[in-house]
Amino acid sequence: MVLPALAYLGVFYVVPFFSLFRTSLSTMGGSIYLPKLTFAWDFSNYGDAFSMYREQIFRSFGYALTATVLCLLLAFPLAYVIAFKAGRYKNLLLGLVILPFFVTFLIRTLAWKTILADDGWVVDALQWVRLLPPDGRILSTAGAVIGGLTYNWIIFMILPLYVSLEKIDVRLLEASRDLYANNRRMFGKVILPLALPGVLAGSMLVFIPSVGDFINASYLGSTQNTMIGNVIQKQFLVVKDYPAAAAMSFVLMALILAGVLMYARALGTEDLV
Amino acid sequence: MAKDIDPRLIAQLASRRRFIGGGAAAAAALVLGPSFLAACSKSDDSSGTASGPATPSDDGSPATGKLRISNWPLYMADGFVAAFQTATGLTVDYKEDFNDNEEWFAKNKEPLSRKQDIGADLVVPTQFLAARLHGLGWLNDISESRWTNKKNMRPDLLNAAADPGRKFSAPYMSGMVGLAYNKAATGRDITKIDDLWDPAYKGKVSLFSDMQDGLGMIMLSQGSSLDDPTIENLQKAVDLVKEQKDKGQIRRFTGNDYADDLAAGNIVIAQAYSGDVVQLQKDNPDLQFVVPESGGTTFVDTMVIPYTTQNQKAAEEWINYVYDRPNYAKLIAATQYVPVLSDMTDELNKLDPGLASNALINPAKATLDKLQSWPALTDEQTQEFNTAYAAVTGA
Repeated sequence: MVLPALAYLGVFYVVPFFSLFRTSLSTMGGSIYLPKLTFAWDFSNYGDAFSMYREQIFRSFGYALTATVLCLLLAFPLAYVIAFKAGRYKNLLLGLVILPFFVTFLIRTLAWKTILADDGWVVDALQWVRLLPPDGRILSTAGAVIGGLTYNWIIFMILPLYVSLEKIDVRLLEASRDLYANNRRMFGKVILPLALPGVLAGSMLVFIPSVGDFINASYLGSTQNTMIGNVIQKQFLVVKDYPAAAAMSFVLMALILAGVLMYARALGTEDLV
Repeated sequence: MAKDIDPRLIAQLASRRRFIGGGAAAAAALVLGPSFLAACSKSDDSSGTASGPATPSDDGSPATGKLRISNWPLYMADGFVAAFQTATGLTVDYKEDFNDNEEWFAKNKEPLSRKQDIGADLVVPTQFLAARLHGLGWLNDISESRWTNKKNMRPDLLNAAADPGRKFSAPYMSGMVGLAYNKAATGRDITKIDDLWDPAYKGKVSLFSDMQDGLGMIMLSQGSSLDDPTIENLQKAVDLVKEQKDKGQIRRFTGNDYADDLAAGNIVIAQAYSGDVVQLQKDNPDLQFVVPESGGTTFVDTMVIPYTTQNQKAAEEWINYVYDRPNYAKLIAATQYVPVLSDMTDELNKLDPGLASNALINPAKATLDKLQSWPALTDEQTQEFNTAYAAVTGA
């Protein structure tokens, strides 16, 4: 029964993975437009990738981390309400959460560009109430990029959280009440620990794609907000330095993996879902 | 009386074009996954450039069937394709999926090197890319006998160094790369490159991410000639861009998408293509196009037939149809770029009196004198220059 899935993973994950790994250690030679990649254990690609683009790497992690925390803060109350308080509106609310994601990622991001435009009503209104200086802007700032990441990936936080909260046996909450737990204690001692798998899964589902994202940075950011995804894209499509781009992808992957493992350990669960 | 478009004046209009930075890149990269991997895994087999058949055999029979065209967005007149279909009985599958020269190349070079169909029988790369494709042996020649309207081409283009006699590339549009600005927002005329660095416009300036379009006018402003560009001169321009970028002066590096930012007021001065600005002016009369005092550059986009074409004859039929002056006038009226055919004045004025005297379609001599075009760069130069500029635009 698992054979098709294994075959799928083999073809679409393992093979490209090793191919990319091989590329990352290759040197380019031959003609410029049809370069030959020669496998050479060329680790300098890695050194270069990290030293030249350290700023973008750190920025990507900073943005993704902020977006993940924001997603968690926004999604937890929502998932909680849907799981425990929504009653017969549960499915309707879940449907409403999913609805915006029927529109493609690109269009949703571009829509923000229109909403947040410098001459748009949002900026005008914020300037009028003095929340923004007269020459201030929202678009093309770090805030816009982080906001875009949060908005685009939050569904991957809401759904796992909802699933783990929904599984909680209400009798446990009643039992904690019987033992004179106040709301805060009930949340800290019962709900949160039981929701941790959802927190972990959601954080990863948001964090991992956010780190490598380049759409939000290209459309909602400025030249000061480029992320590592933009660098990789440029290396692949314009400079056509495949080994450098592949090495950067691996640096990114390694850093994400390290981050995820530390996070999983900190949350005290080895069990990913 | 409208002036005739003097081919000698336009002789300097010669090479270059557009680039959609974000959207296309994003979409391409998403779609491209597999072909990247194909590109990456191909490490040691000889990726031979099959020598392209210069001229495929032609039995003289009329073109039939379907023609697949891949062109830039907003580069077509309403009803033009339908009129072509009616006139020729051919079916056209017209796609606006050519967004960026380098990205198109990155995406299609693998199938082309293996002589596999790329889903298009006719594409419209910028001249430098057409020359590169030809050098790799991936283009068919265009049959003279089916391209009888070739005689209408501007003589300067016919004899261009990139393709003397125009054997494999048929110019489609030419235009200027200059500055567009929103006069209501700048509050003054913009005339030179230094105006881009005015602190008053901090974070409101956009540059092209394309190397030639982006750096050309900046190099000219630094007194560097484009005739024989050196990496030292280019690096000087890159350093200036980097300095301004680090100051926060430059908001974005763009492709054609600068137009949206300009219209939305996010950008007040942008590096821009002449025809786009004419189209944008219809919605916002405050937008102006100017060739900077120190000079701007030009581009020519060309129709070419990849050697993987499934319908050579229909592609040639299309090229010939485009080269008919009344037909071509409709295209110019829509795109507002500089015609690649000579003596267009009468046909343009028939469609819209005064169209031929539009300064962006028929630039004044003073403007033309300020324009320079990039020479054909060697592969090594292109790579070196692209890498130098990408270090700023992609970081």
